[in-house]
Amino acid sequence: MEGRDDGGGKVIGLIEKATKSTAQEVDPRLLKAIKSIVRYSDSEVRLSAQTLMELMRHNHSQVRYLTLFIIDELFMRSKLFRTLIIENLDQLLSLSVGFRSNLPLPAPPAAATMLRSKAIEFLEKWNLSFGLHYKELRLGFDYLKNTLKLKFPDLQANAARIQRERQEREMKTKEILRNKFDSLRDSFGLFKYEIEVTIKEIKECMEIVQWRGDDGVPLAILDEEDFEEIRCSHLRQIRLDSLKQSDKVEETSENRVVFDVLREQCKLLVTKHLISVQEGISLLIRVDVSDNRTRDSMLKDLIDIRNNILAAKKKWEEAGFTISSMTGTHENEETNEEEEDIWEEDDGKVRTNSVKNVAPVMRSQQSENSSLPSSSDANRSTSESRSNKVSNTKKVGSSGDSLRDKLISEAPVMNWGSQLSNWDSTTEVRANYRGLELESHWGRVDHDAVIPAEKIAELNLQATVYREERTETPPCRAPLKKGGLCQRRDLRVCPFHGPIVPRDDEGNPIIQESPLDESENQTSSTTGTNKDVPMDETTSDSDPNQLARQIAKQALKNIREKDKEVMRKRAKLVKVKVKEHNQEVLRDAAIASTSRSNVIDEEFDRVFAARKNKKQTFSSMRRKKTTAKDRISQRLLSNRVKSTNPQQLAQGNDEKCRDTSANQW
Amino acid sequence: MWKAIKDRETGRIRSNSFANRFKSRRILSLQLSNRKDFVSPHRGSVNSLQVDLTEGRYLLSGAADGSAAVFDVQRATDYEASGLIAKHKCIFTVDKQHDNGHKFAISSAIWYPIDTGLFITGSYDHYLKVWDTNTAQAVVDFKMPGKVYRTAMSSMAMSHTLIAAGTEDVQVRLCDIASGAFSHTLSGHRDGVMSVEWSTSSEWVLYTGGCDGAIRFWDIRRAGCFRVLDQSQTQLGIRPPILKRTAVSSKFFSAAKSSLGGQNRLKTLQSKHAGSQSVKGSFSAKASTEKSRQKRIHPGMLSTLDRATAHYGVVTGLKATNDGMYLLSAGSDSRIRLWDIESGRNTLVNFETGRIQTNKAIQLDTSDDPALVFVPCMKTVKTFGMWSGRTTLMLRGHYESVNTCCFNSSDQELYTSGADRQILVWSPGGSVEDEMVQDEVAEDKDNWSD
Repeated sequence: MEGRDDGGGKVIGLIEKATKSTAQEVDPRLLKAIKSIVRYSDSEVRLSAQTLMELMRHNHSQVRYLTLFIIDELFMRSKLFRTLIIENLDQLLSLSVGFRSNLPLPAPPAAATMLRSKAIEFLEKWNLSFGLHYKELRLGFDYLKNTLKLKFPDLQANAARIQRERQEREMKTKEILRNKFDSLRDSFGLFKYEIEVTIKEIKECMEIVQWRGDDGVPLAILDEEDFEEIRCSHLRQIRLDSLKQSDKVEETSENRVVFDVLREQCKLLVTKHLISVQEGISLLIRVDVSDNRTRDSMLKDLIDIRNNILAAKKKWEEAGFTISSMTGTHENEETNEEEEDIWEEDDGKVRTNSVKNVAPVMRSQQSENSSLPSSSDANRSTSESRSNKVSNTKKVGSSGDSLRDKLISEAPVMNWGSQLSNWDSTTEVRANYRGLELESHWGRVDHDAVIPAEKIAELNLQATVYREERTETPPCRAPLKKGGLCQRRDLRVCPFHGPIVPRDDEGNPIIQESPLDESENQTSSTTGTNKDVPMDETTSDSDPNQLARQIAKQALKNIREKDKEVMRKRAKLVKVKVKEHNQEVLRDAAIASTSRSNVIDEEFDRVFAARKNKKQTFSSMRRKKTTAKDRISQRLLSNRVKSTNPQQLAQGNDEKCRDTSANQW
Repeated sequence: MWKAIKDRETGRIRSNSFANRFKSRRILSLQLSNRKDFVSPHRGSVNSLQVDLTEGRYLLSGAADGSAAVFDVQRATDYEASGLIAKHKCIFTVDKQHDNGHKFAISSAIWYPIDTGLFITGSYDHYLKVWDTNTAQAVVDFKMPGKVYRTAMSSMAMSHTLIAAGTEDVQVRLCDIASGAFSHTLSGHRDGVMSVEWSTSSEWVLYTGGCDGAIRFWDIRRAGCFRVLDQSQTQLGIRPPILKRTAVSSKFFSAAKSSLGGQNRLKTLQSKHAGSQSVKGSFSAKASTEKSRQKRIHPGMLSTLDRATAHYGVVTGLKATNDGMYLLSAGSDSRIRLWDIESGRNTLVNFETGRIQTNKAIQLDTSDDPALVFVPCMKTVKTFGMWSGRTTLMLRGHYESVNTCCFNSSDQELYTSGADRQILVWSPGGSVEDEMVQDEVAEDKDNWSD
């Protein structure tokens, strides 16, 4: 008896403690404690039910809310508790839902609304799980739902609805897959035929190209036979390497047509057919149709086709035919976005490596396939290692951001524009290609005229307008005789008070030279204030600190003069270079194109030159400003460097690819 | 229980009393039935319930949305949760959509006492209609002068088919189904009549309770009411049930015995005018003595008697006990009064009612063997011991005020209905088969996961 009283006290205390908080939930530890106590005896259950019902009558919604939580917890567990609670279910409901107009929910309205919604939710839950056994539950639920039209969350119906929707979605995807499968089956023959044709064309092109290369090869073979006696293995190795190298056919003006075709076909094969084949494979794997046999056979065919394509690719890669301009798109598809962001603005030097930093799948395939240590492979491997290195450094950089910061600090800031899309691109642009089949009546037109990539890069060179940062011109702030401070704003020298120096609130100059001298300055300024002498040039001159400062200034000026000299020389050099370059361009154009395109080229050139000149004058004008000169010259230099750097131009393709890939997504 | 069966077999207990014991035990354990549901088709408060008097099988309900429905009490239409819950859907309904359905609320729906081929509904649209159960068509209708509050047919009438209708009007009308016309107009009430009840001992006697608080007794063979119950006329003491039972049995078997019983009773009651009521054997004899007495105290006494009230306020419910000796009345003063019909006196049994609905007619019911009264007290139904007035059970299940109680003595089930549109079944709980099914489904158990 005593023990029961003890325990009873405990459960009551716990419940009261749990319901006293202002939290949204009952403290889970308290709840657990209550449960573990209540679990072991029926008297505890009775006692807790009684206590909880009393607490439900408490005139405070928060208390009721927490009490309701405990009730729910016990209700879901103990049968005895259920029967006890259900005896007073109507009371409980009226206290928690507040549906009786003469018994509204008590004070804090926020807690009251929460209490109501929770109570409704709990009632539905209880009804779902125990409604069968308790008519009262069913009645209460029915009453609230059908008579009072309270809105229940309707858990069961919701779950059912979600389930149904998911099923519908699955059905739909299945249907789509089946449709795709049907269309694939219908067009399968054509599709296969197309790919075969393409592969065949590539093969033929390769043969033509290789045959052209054969002119040199027999010689080499002959040579090899001749030099058979050279036993020195490493020499031979070198020879072999060079031979391999010679296998790779250089693109010349004679075989350009073949190369174009080859390139196009390769591109078609890789960008269109390979992808569609892969899609087809995944489709066939995912779809489930009754007709398993056709599916399997199609799958087999598709895999064969894919292998064929890969083999063809391997072949042309072995032939040293760089399809980077085509496959680049692929490679960059696979690079992640983040990387692109990082590499967008950096210098060409680093980008060279980033090109190879991708396409792990293809890489691995290639490394598997290449049993021979061909030079291209060697190149690749070295580049790979380098790229790895770069990526490693990049990783480091990304952790510390030091590399990136460095690159960003080096990188030129460009305005957004269309020229960024073919930044550093090596593709040639066809001069007379408009995309329209229009007959020109003004003479013969050479449709094959192209503008070389270098020139395009030059044409795309952007004029950058220097913008001065607006700086606040500080007021003179020298003390006036009539009181107050001089408010004139001059850049350097105030006509009345001499050079502008930083001054304190009373107009006394503060001399800043170095942080080391600060204390001294302060003392001087304090002495100045102590002396309370009106400031003018003589006094400032007489000040030893001022003197030192002047000297330092002079030294600085000298250094700047020197710098200026250097800059001027450099600019001259640049000018000469530009001139040379222009001439070259003109010559090229004269050789490369007919009259029409020539004219165009000239026009381009003229514009380009004018722009250049303009820039020149612009920059030289700017250079007079000593403050901004360093930055501008640096910038100009970097621009020059970029535009004349052929290596960088060669690497431009990835830039383009990146953009295309961005469009694709 | 097994002992009782053995006793019955050996003849120590008579089978009748054995059955009574069993029944009374069941009645005392009434609780909300989980296994029996009436699917209420009503969309308004259910105002009237009655189980048919011949089979005890069909439950007739009338509701405020103008619909009346019939349920089969014994055979469920379908089951839920693997047979755990029996759903009783209505066999048919007549409602506003019906061609000659009631326009307004049905206040009263009763069975024709002889068979289940007819039932009668009275409505607030001033009509009283008699329906053919099998075709669900109205066969006769009576236009009443006001809203019909309550209708009643005598359960023991052999020579007439009269429907007594209490309406807004001060006059009680008796409608004859056979002729389709009003046969009687009983005037005497000063306000509308809320409750009407036929005597259970005489087919000619009618009790009516009005909004003026008076309960009047009528003998339909004569003009005028022969008694007005006066709450201030009391008789002390509650008759012991044994005496009453002898009185009951005597009434049915021999007049001489009953007179003896009556005399016994009178001795215990310290009746003031015992001498004048020496003869009590048959009702007609009693009526004649009443008449003679009224004649004697005519006319001054008549007017004072005529103004007597049974309740302060409206008499909302009347129920004569099955033995025909007592009348229970409920009033808007939240009182239940038990009247001795023969003496017309208030027996002063104090029923521990809470509040009783005041603005609507309520339907009381009684059970015989443990003499209990079922009274709708707002949202609960209370059962009182008829002689003690103590609350024996409090049945809580309705969410709004309860209008009617209907006790089915053959099944020992109680049906209640109220403004929450539900018809609830209260059946004896704790029976063996209940537990067994519970175990079969076996979901309702403790679940201490942690």
